[in-house]
Amino acid sequence: MNPILEAFTMVATTEVAIAVLASAVYGMVIGALPGLTATMATALLVPITFYLSPIAAVATIITSSAMAIFSGDIPGCLMRIPGTPASAAYTDEAYAMTRKGEAELALGTSLWFSAVGGIVGTVALMIMAPALAEMALSFSTFEYFWLSLLGLMCATLVARSSPIKAIAAALLGLLVACVGIENPGGVPRFTFGSTDLLGGIEALPALVGVFAVSEIMRALVSPLPPRIPDRKLGSILRGQWGLTRRFQKQMWRGNVIGVLIGALPGAGADIAAWVAYATSKRFSKEPEKFGTGHPEGLVESGAANNSALAGGWVPALLFGIPGDTITAIAIGVLYMKGLNPGPTLFTEKASSMYALYIIFILANVLMIPLGIIMIRLSRHVLKAPRAVAMPLILLLCAVGAFAIGNNPFAIVLVAVFGVIGYMMERNGYPVAALVLGIVMGTMVEQNLVSSLIKSDGEILPFFERPISSGLAALTISALMWPVAVWVIRRLRHAEPAR
Amino acid sequence: MHLSDRVTGLFLALLGSLAFWGGSRLPAVPGQDVGPAAFPMAIGGGLVICGVLIAAGIGHSFEAKDTAEDDQAPGLARWLGRLGWLAAFLPPVLLIGYVLVVDTLGFLLTAAIMLLVSARALGASWAMTIGVMLIAPPVVHLAFGKLLRVPLPDGLLAAPW
Amino acid sequence: MNTFTRRGALGVAAVVGLARPALAQPRYPARPVQVIVPWGAGGGTDATARIVATLLEREMGQPFNVVNRTGGSGVVGHSAIAQAAPDGYTIGMITVEICMMHWQGLTELKRTSYTPLALMNEDPPGVQVNASSPYRDIKALADAIKASRPGQFKASGTGQGGIWHLALAGWLVAMGLRADHVRWVPSNGAAPAMQDLAAGGVDLVTCSVPEARAIIDAGRARSLAIMAPQRNPQFASVPTLNETLGINYSVGAWRGMAAPLNLPAPIAQQLTAAMQKVWNSQEFKDFMNARGFGMVWGDAEGLAKHMEQTDTTLGTAMRDAGLVRG
Repeated sequence: MNPILEAFTMVATTEVAIAVLASAVYGMVIGALPGLTATMATALLVPITFYLSPIAAVATIITSSAMAIFSGDIPGCLMRIPGTPASAAYTDEAYAMTRKGEAELALGTSLWFSAVGGIVGTVALMIMAPALAEMALSFSTFEYFWLSLLGLMCATLVARSSPIKAIAAALLGLLVACVGIENPGGVPRFTFGSTDLLGGIEALPALVGVFAVSEIMRALVSPLPPRIPDRKLGSILRGQWGLTRRFQKQMWRGNVIGVLIGALPGAGADIAAWVAYATSKRFSKEPEKFGTGHPEGLVESGAANNSALAGGWVPALLFGIPGDTITAIAIGVLYMKGLNPGPTLFTEKASSMYALYIIFILANVLMIPLGIIMIRLSRHVLKAPRAVAMPLILLLCAVGAFAIGNNPFAIVLVAVFGVIGYMMERNGYPVAALVLGIVMGTMVEQNLVSSLIKSDGEILPFFERPISSGLAALTISALMWPVAVWVIRRLRHAEPAR
Repeated sequence: MHLSDRVTGLFLALLGSLAFWGGSRLPAVPGQDVGPAAFPMAIGGGLVICGVLIAAGIGHSFEAKDTAEDDQAPGLARWLGRLGWLAAFLPPVLLIGYVLVVDTLGFLLTAAIMLLVSARALGASWAMTIGVMLIAPPVVHLAFGKLLRVPLPDGLLAAPW
Repeated sequence: MNTFTRRGALGVAAVVGLARPALAQPRYPARPVQVIVPWGAGGGTDATARIVATLLEREMGQPFNVVNRTGGSGVVGHSAIAQAAPDGYTIGMITVEICMMHWQGLTELKRTSYTPLALMNEDPPGVQVNASSPYRDIKALADAIKASRPGQFKASGTGQGGIWHLALAGWLVAMGLRADHVRWVPSNGAAPAMQDLAAGGVDLVTCSVPEARAIIDAGRARSLAIMAPQRNPQFASVPTLNETLGINYSVGAWRGMAAPLNLPAPIAQQLTAAMQKVWNSQEFKDFMNARGFGMVWGDAEGLAKHMEQTDTTLGTAMRDAGLVRG
């Protein structure tokens, strides 16, 4: 029988249908709760997959993680509590739209372009998995070093403030990433004898602190905002169709960035979303609107985020290298069900592979109606008066931070980062740059030190390999960009005085 | 709380020099030319440079104008009068308080107290405050503690489920 | 959402169980048991703990809830297990790191801080090279390493001072070389190290064979030997160090179940017996074989002995590698 037909018969069973539907609802709900991530949602599913057929088991993982990643954007957009470091790239943009009364449009954009990104990513996975996998395997620590540095440089492009303050905020984030024993030397750094600091400062509590808690802090000293007019936006989807036509180029660029960066294990969705947002702003015709509730960046980084997720399955399926924690869990389930990752999966078990592709597409299509229901439900959150909503968000910050690792220290971190985020914002330092520094810090240092050990301290190998030299050129130009802008402005300002 | 660029810049420079100094005292690791000290020292150096530039006011022209804030906020800020800016620091204080007492008092009581204080501080009416206090903690406990098995402490008042 | 209804039903059962008159000595376990995992959701330890918990739940008729207590590179979770009340309602999965961290001066906790219950698994390290590497067998590689200048060969697999770094150091010392004769390139776990091996960045990777398996299956790397007393039936073609080089050196990453110190003996015996049933069950075997995890069993005494042995081996390796502090 034709493997594609066979794949359809494998998917078209009651068991798979129930598994997909149940795990879709489950992922949607878990992801929308602050602090509970897509990783958590998938890990909780593993014991259930023991009792399912192979295709149904993998289907639950694929479906629930896709849904949870989308619905993780909901608290980010409505309450400024981002669910993942990847969504932190556009949290402020989405929240600014919410404050303009366009919450449904923001969430709809996130939903629609997530689904499109997921489908494009899947198609890329289907037609060029081997080529992408070859690319991923040619990335050694030298290339990763430049890539992570490039991701870090996005801080200066994304920020709506002085580039020097953006760099300072990113450096502060890197300093935070230094804390702990998870450094190449395995030496406790800046732990001050604390056991809790030994493992370093996780990105998620820091995110919740600098975004959500600082927002509550600001609410305590600012007057009540004017009531958001209860606008009827009509069909969520119709608005998206308009955006798709208007920002078609951005969407495709985001998808390509997502697929390419997502296929690199370990870099994944985080860098992809940031790079896409920065690219979008850099090449936009109206960059001054970014950060004020403008959907353009949301389109590009939302698409990149989800196509990166599909891209992350490439190294997982071909080499068993997890791109992130979710694919790590998925690899475990694949092994348990006899679908061992490797090139043979694509040849000997071709029908199972096609079945997985079908489920990817199915999950991304199903995401749209379920997501619309979720958006319609969750927008009622905005109707709550501020004096009630903010205390509830504070409570959710505490519980959500605790739920990450069941460690009360995470709540302390949330409080500390709340203060840091508040002070930074009031004084014109972009918190997004700080977050980027925390996320990228370990990666930059790890790859720098590993590369230097491998090259016996030589700098030249950083520029010798072909991909490495290309990335180096990109990074250095991104680094010089703010300086160049500054010099040009200075010259222009100086001219009339002459 | 708005501080001048001079203050924040010099603070960053100080932090950078502390990081540089702290980094320089880290032990070398056998077999690594670039040890754990290099990265903190580089960051510290960078922070010192940025701090000094910020204090000198370079790059200020790129910033968006600061929107006027700190005027009439309801609740705690109004009550504190001229010290109203202190109200902003209530949420982190409440979070730390939560960590300190939650094991003794239990989740339900601690959450209720946290909601009471923060809702009143934001200017909620008593009726609204009491409503939130009574409804929200059990609902959150049901969702996180019961369904998702997050081990929220029982303390003095255990949830009936 | 059938999970929730299943859990809900169990929850109701638990409440009913509690409602029974407490006059008679209550049978253990009378309420849900917490299983603390010191590592994050999604890892191998988490997966193993979850299958053990699922099967224990069936064995003992009460929910066994897996709780990931992360932080402090495993220290936080390990101390949460040690500091819990010794009533049998908090147990945990402890890992090889408990025999390493105290040597580095990271914590006071050591193997004697627990009531050992059972050893569930151990994965020995292997020696992996790139598929196009000129060294066809472990003997050729060992000779080349001996002939190389110090630092010429680069190896990876974990962070600095991690279990696979110590495996390499111990192996080098057993060959009569210095522990740092091969340069260690720290990596963020075994998967990135294997990727770097495939990309040609390092010469060898000393992670466990199951961790290297997918890249080996993809024809990008080869496993030359494992550092264990016997071959792994899952990878029967990979010889041991002993049969090829005559070096009797073995160390592995193990996972065991433990409870706080002073757990009452009847409860401990009951738990160990249930874990033995779990270990012998077909589901557990299927799971471990599918993942390629090594099946090693030890009862309470077996785990205690095993911990003592690893503690000495790793202590020596860490001292040789210059990692012991304090």
